[in-house]
Amino acid sequence: MNIRQVHPVFVGEVSDIDITQPLTREQAAAIEAGMDRYAVLAFRDQALTDEQQLEFSRNFGELEVTLAGQMAKPEDRRLGDRLELGDISNLTARNAIRERDDRSRMYALANRLWHSDASFRAIGAGYTLLHGRVIPGKGGNTEFADMRAAYDALDDGTKAEIEDLVCEHSIVFSREQIGFADYAPGNEDRLRPVRHRLVITHPVTGRKSLYLSSHIGGIVGWPVPEARAFIRDLTEHATQRQFVYSHAWRVGDLVMWDNRTVMHRARRFDDLKEVRDLRRTSIKGTGLEVAQAKAA
Amino acid sequence: MTVSIKPLHPLFVGEVSGTHITQPLDRDVVATIEAGMDRYAILVFRDQRVTDEQQLAFSRNFGELEVTRGTGISKPGELRLDPAFADVSNLDTNNLPLARDNRRRLYSLGNRLWHSDSSFKAVPATYSLLSGRIVADKGGETEFADMRAAYDALDAATRASIEDLVCEHSLQYSREQLGFDLTPEERATMRPVRQRLVRAHPVTARKSLYLASHIGTIIGWPMPEARAFIRDLTEHATQPQFVYTHAWRPWDLVMWDNRQVMHRVRRYDESKPRDMRRTTVAGTTVTVAQAA
Repeated sequence: MNIRQVHPVFVGEVSDIDITQPLTREQAAAIEAGMDRYAVLAFRDQALTDEQQLEFSRNFGELEVTLAGQMAKPEDRRLGDRLELGDISNLTARNAIRERDDRSRMYALANRLWHSDASFRAIGAGYTLLHGRVIPGKGGNTEFADMRAAYDALDDGTKAEIEDLVCEHSIVFSREQIGFADYAPGNEDRLRPVRHRLVITHPVTGRKSLYLSSHIGGIVGWPVPEARAFIRDLTEHATQRQFVYSHAWRVGDLVMWDNRTVMHRARRFDDLKEVRDLRRTSIKGTGLEVAQAKAA
Repeated sequence: MTVSIKPLHPLFVGEVSGTHITQPLDRDVVATIEAGMDRYAILVFRDQRVTDEQQLAFSRNFGELEVTRGTGISKPGELRLDPAFADVSNLDTNNLPLARDNRRRLYSLGNRLWHSDSSFKAVPATYSLLSGRIVADKGGETEFADMRAAYDALDAATRASIEDLVCEHSLQYSREQLGFDLTPEERATMRPVRQRLVRAHPVTARKSLYLASHIGTIIGWPMPEARAFIRDLTEHATQPQFVYTHAWRPWDLVMWDNRQVMHRVRRYDESKPRDMRRTTVAGTTVTVAQAA
């Protein structure tokens, strides 16, 4: 297995490995070591089935279920009852392109804001693995921003100021920003804000990073508008060009990233005409437990 | 003394010398400044120790002034300045910095989002003129982005797709983004108005993107799709190559054309006074017919 760095600060492209087959312990360890270093790894030409993607993902920890899957009615789930398999597509349960006003489409549009997966949970996601099945002709890239490099580039005054800040995250906050608030009753627990440190330390490498996400709605102890203005400034800093890699998808790409060290977002494509079908798995995070308590 | 203008940025912004705006201006000087605004969109005048009266008189050379709109955020008796001024300070009527959780302060944090002044009015502003009376030692810069250059840099397909789009603007949208709680009475003063997304300058005919954090949706679009798109456009339009950062010196007066630029203020230490006073020249036309 070889890893070639494809961006000045992070992201490796992995070659000479077939991830449709069971991995040896050494191979899994080499991938984990690559993740610690590059934060994002891209595997090309991997014709994974859903089962193979789930199997590959389990090498790295316990799978988590997706929030969208949990909140969807069973008959609306295109990928069946396996909630560990996230449906990142613009398709209905009948494989038709979603209409312009479709509620799930509105919900998913917030993926165009920079975020870290599942930061709205008390234990956010560790790795996310995304596999490209159908790719639009134009647009629909996924962009990644290196939160370690972004942290390192802050001035000392800012580093000291933010060291012990704790943010409140909820799916409600990211959706609110684009004017979506249509949740079915019974989801109250899933919408309640959780707390995370703004500066987190990677459990293996010890490197610090900014744990930013569009799911942030406040900083504990700060007036809300001041917190949000500050988080916007930090996010703008952290997503400057020099920290960003844009992944142009090919069919059969599997991209995995560490939500503790990068943010990501989807870019626009002609989603009313073209199909984009990606399948997501994610691993429960470890090392994110510090200073977390359910918000009152 | 002849008025001259020196460019401060590759695309826009000129620094004016050879005039004292504290004095009444000749018609030809006013015309030179207006021509400079058409070309540079922003003009910087250094060392202008204007009184409020002088700032008002200078501003009136360019048209009628807007009167600060009553949103109810500032209660009667809380106005530090004449209503022809927008008080862009962090000060109360005793000239002391506002407390951290002061409602007027939290409301004014909306100025840290990219915007165009008064785009939330059916007839929006033309020029804004901002006088720096007490400036921040660190931070508190005003950044400007050239919406003509941003428009020019769009690809042809995007230009065609946005040509006839109409956006809804309201103060409630910019304030909501920061989670500022408006009362029903305040909200009632903030009825959305419509503005074209692409507008042409009446003199130069150059097209520009009429963007602002006050935008809440695009007519005929689902709101989340509109907002995601406006965010993308705003990100495009505020890339470093389109942006000028004005580091304030005391007694700078900066004037900008809201039809051609967006602006925002950067963070500063609000425990110290920052006293900036803005006059705003009223526009004369709508950009698009308003909803009945």
